[in-house]
Amino acid sequence: MNIIEIANASTEETVVEHTTTPNNESVAASLGLNGQLFVFQLINFAIVAGIVWFLILKPLTSKLEERKNIIDESLEKAKEVEANLIMSNEKFTEKISEAKAEGNKIITKATTDAEELAVSMKAKAKVEIENLVEQARGKIKDEKEEVMQGIKKETASLIMAVVEKVLNEKLTDKKDQQLIEESLKNLHK
Amino acid sequence: MSGTIHIPTLAPDVLFQIGNFNITNTMINVWLAMLIFLVLGILIKRKVSLRPGKLQNICEFFLESVLSYFDQVTGDRKKTIRFLPVVGSIFFFILLSNWLGLLPGTGSITWGHKMLLRPANTDLNLTVAMALVSVIASHVYAFIALGVFTHLGKFIQIKNLFKSIKKGPIAIFTAIIEFAVGLIEIISELAKVLSLSLRLFGNIFAGEVLISVISALIAALVPTPFMLLELLVGLIQAAVFAMLTIVYLTVATSAPHGAEEH
Repeated sequence: MNIIEIANASTEETVVEHTTTPNNESVAASLGLNGQLFVFQLINFAIVAGIVWFLILKPLTSKLEERKNIIDESLEKAKEVEANLIMSNEKFTEKISEAKAEGNKIITKATTDAEELAVSMKAKAKVEIENLVEQARGKIKDEKEEVMQGIKKETASLIMAVVEKVLNEKLTDKKDQQLIEESLKNLHK
Repeated sequence: MSGTIHIPTLAPDVLFQIGNFNITNTMINVWLAMLIFLVLGILIKRKVSLRPGKLQNICEFFLESVLSYFDQVTGDRKKTIRFLPVVGSIFFFILLSNWLGLLPGTGSITWGHKMLLRPANTDLNLTVAMALVSVIASHVYAFIALGVFTHLGKFIQIKNLFKSIKKGPIAIFTAIIEFAVGLIEIISELAKVLSLSLRLFGNIFAGEVLISVISALIAALVPTPFMLLELLVGLIQAAVFAMLTIVYLTVATSAPHGAEEH
């Protein structure tokens, strides 16, 4: 064993060297190698290695691996989702185009149908109006005739009353008839 | 100014004994590191989740940095994870124990007349233990990955020696050289243990001596740059030890060159 102490009187530092290495001491022993200490340190290192591996490195590496797997899976899933999204977009665009075409067809058909319907409705309305006008005309004609008949009757009775007053006499049926006819003839003139 | 410079001895100081067992100041440092890892480990184990908190985030940041650093050697994250129990433990333990040696109190608090705390890696027993674990682990992994006979065949190449007899003198000469190379490989395995342990021990011990001397000469401000340097040395030494270990593991678990030819 070497113990060195440096003594320096001027600076009051001490450097002293004790060399107590016996001649018969082996090189290994002089370096501090000792069987018992070696076994102790081996056991110490084994315990440290056990602690470091089982409590620190193993849990951390397994978590790192687990996380890496999750990230890999997520990336793959993300790629799948992206592919699906692209496909869906394509399908969506396709469907939209189809729907647009379909819509245009429907609109065109509806427009045509509406135009046809409008024409037929117009024709129907025209016919109905004509019928109504015809009916109105017939009614007016009937009413006119009725009114004329009424006027004729009223006029006849009025004339009768006037004549009676003028003549101041009762007419017989025969005379009455004659008189009426003559009066009417005069009236027409 | 009056003072005594206590330069650490090569061997750790025995502080006290439990029965017949010596407890040294480097062991106290190891236990301190063990305690810190234990507390940290319990906290992490309890709170570990897919959505990390602050502590988990910091730990994951360091772990990810270290893993990507190791990946450069193995070239494969799965291999790195397989070697992590050995290499990760070595790296983080060396790093923490080196940095713990820079805490105030290390080299100044005394127990009796001896320093209570001393950087764990200034104990050659510990560095040799770790180096042995590193080299033995590389062979264990190689046995599992390649099979016992294939791996042993890297060192004891007798098979080629027998086969070469039929092929002529040049083949015999080549087989003898290969056999000798195999034996040298065995020696190099021992050299690995020596180089790993002595490098770490030497660097950390030198740093501790340097800081002790500088602190004793001028206590204020002057040791600071050296301590900052020691922070870096601590990290570098941890990285070097861990990188060499992972290199040994990677080389040992890879199939021998020209295996298909034999």
